[in-house]
Amino acid sequence: MPYWLYLVIGGIFINNFVLSRFLGICPFLGVSRKTETALGMGLAVIFVMGMTSIITFGLNLLLKELNIQYLQTIVFILVIAALIQLIEIVIKRFAPSLYTALGVYLPLITTNCAVLGVAIMNVTELATQNIFTSFVNGISSGIGFTLALLIMAGIREKLEYSEIPEKFKGFPITLITASIMAMAFTAFAGLSF
Amino acid sequence: MDFSKEILYPVIILTGIAIFFSILIAIFSKRFAIKKDLQVETVLGLLAGANCGACGYAGCEAFAKALVKGEAKLSMCNATNKECKKKIGALLGTDASDEETVVVCACIGGIMCEDKYEYQGYGDCASVELLSGGRKSCPTGCIGMSTCVSSCPVHAIDIIKGVAVVNQSKCIHCGICVLNCPKSLMKRIPKKAMYFIACSCHESGKNVRINCKVGCIGCGICAKVCPEGAITMVDNLPVFDYDKCIGCGVCADKCPSKCIKELVLPQKNDE
Repeated sequence: MPYWLYLVIGGIFINNFVLSRFLGICPFLGVSRKTETALGMGLAVIFVMGMTSIITFGLNLLLKELNIQYLQTIVFILVIAALIQLIEIVIKRFAPSLYTALGVYLPLITTNCAVLGVAIMNVTELATQNIFTSFVNGISSGIGFTLALLIMAGIREKLEYSEIPEKFKGFPITLITASIMAMAFTAFAGLSF
Repeated sequence: MDFSKEILYPVIILTGIAIFFSILIAIFSKRFAIKKDLQVETVLGLLAGANCGACGYAGCEAFAKALVKGEAKLSMCNATNKECKKKIGALLGTDASDEETVVVCACIGGIMCEDKYEYQGYGDCASVELLSGGRKSCPTGCIGMSTCVSSCPVHAIDIIKGVAVVNQSKCIHCGICVLNCPKSLMKRIPKKAMYFIACSCHESGKNVRINCKVGCIGCGICAKVCPEGAITMVDNLPVFDYDKCIGCGVCADKCPSKCIKELVLPQKNDE
C-alpha cells in the first residue's frame, strides 16, 4: 500500500484530529449545532489545512537550512494568519458565493490550533517528508476534522428532541457525547493493513 | 557564540516574513478590493443594526441592499428610530413619514381569567391554541405559555401572573411577537399614546365577567367621562383617538375593571 494511503486513513480515522489528538476542540463544540454550519466550517478547515501544509513545508526547508527550527511555531502562526487573510480577500473577490458559504468560519480558523497542529506534525511526524505527503496529510486531517464535526452535529440535532435530565441539557450532554465518540474512535487505533 | 547565526538569522527571517506578508496583504486588498456601494453602507449605518429579521430579510445588511434597490419599504423595519428613518428617507428620496409605534400586550387576564381545561405536556401557545382555541375560557385571552417570550430577540417580554408583559425599556419594537402570537394580542400603538385598552375581548359584558375578573365589559364609562371625547366604543371595546387624547387619565380612574392601562415608556436621556 502506498504511503499516502496510510496518511489518508490515518488522518481521517486513526489520528483523528478532534477525537484522538484532541486538537480544535473549540470549533468542535462551538460550530456543531447544525449540520450545515458544521459542513461549512469543515470545508473551510480542509481548504486551509491543505494550503498551509504546502506553504509551511517550504518554510520549514528554509528554517532547516538556517538551523533555526525552534522558530517554527511562531513562524507557522504568522504564516497561517497571513495566509487566511489573503485567501479571504481573494475568495471575497472571485467567489462571493463561496465566501458567504464559508462566512465567519474562515477568520475563525486563523487561531485554530488544529491548523497549527497539522503544520507542525507535517514536519515532525511524517516518515517521508515531501510536499505531496504534507499536502495529503493536511487534506486528510481536514477531512477527519469535518467527519468528527458532522457526526457531532448530527447527534446534537437528534439530542434536541430527546428527553435529557435538566442538569445535563446543553454542554454537559455534548461533552459526554464527545467522550463516547472519542472512545469509539480509539477502536481505530488497532487498525493494521 | 556565533552572533550572525544565533540572533541575526531568526530576526531577519521573522521580520522578513512579516514584512513580506504585510506587503502582500496590502497589495491584495488594493488589487482585489470590492467596490462597496456607498449608499448601502450609509443606509446600513443608519439602520438599527439589531439584525432581528422582522423585516423578512437576512439581517440589516440585506435589508439595506433591498432598500437601496427599492424592493423593501422603510416601514418594514420597526427597530430603527425616527430620526434615522428620516435621514434614510431623505437619502433615498422615499417617504418616511411613518408614525413611531410601540408594542404592548392587549390582555391583562392571566391568572384572573378562568381556565377552560388544564393543559399538560409539550409545547407553547401555538400548540395550546390548536386545542380548541387555547386553554383560557376567554377566546382572546393570553395563554401565557411564552411563544412571545421565546421569539423575542432582546428578551423584553416576561410572563407575569400568567400574562405577557412587554418591558418597554428593553423592547426594540421589531414586531416579531406581533407576528408570532397565536391570539394576535401583541398590538402596536403610537408611541405618543399615554393610555391603552389592555383587553381584546369583544364579548358582551356578562360573558366577559363569567370568564375573567379584569376584562373589559364594554360599559362605555370611559367614553362618557373622557373630557376630550377621544374614546369611542366599537364592538364592546373602547377605541382611542390618540390625536385627541391629552393623557388626563380619567378613563383609567373610572374604569370598573381597571383594564385601561397607562403606557409607561422609559425616559430617554437624549430627549
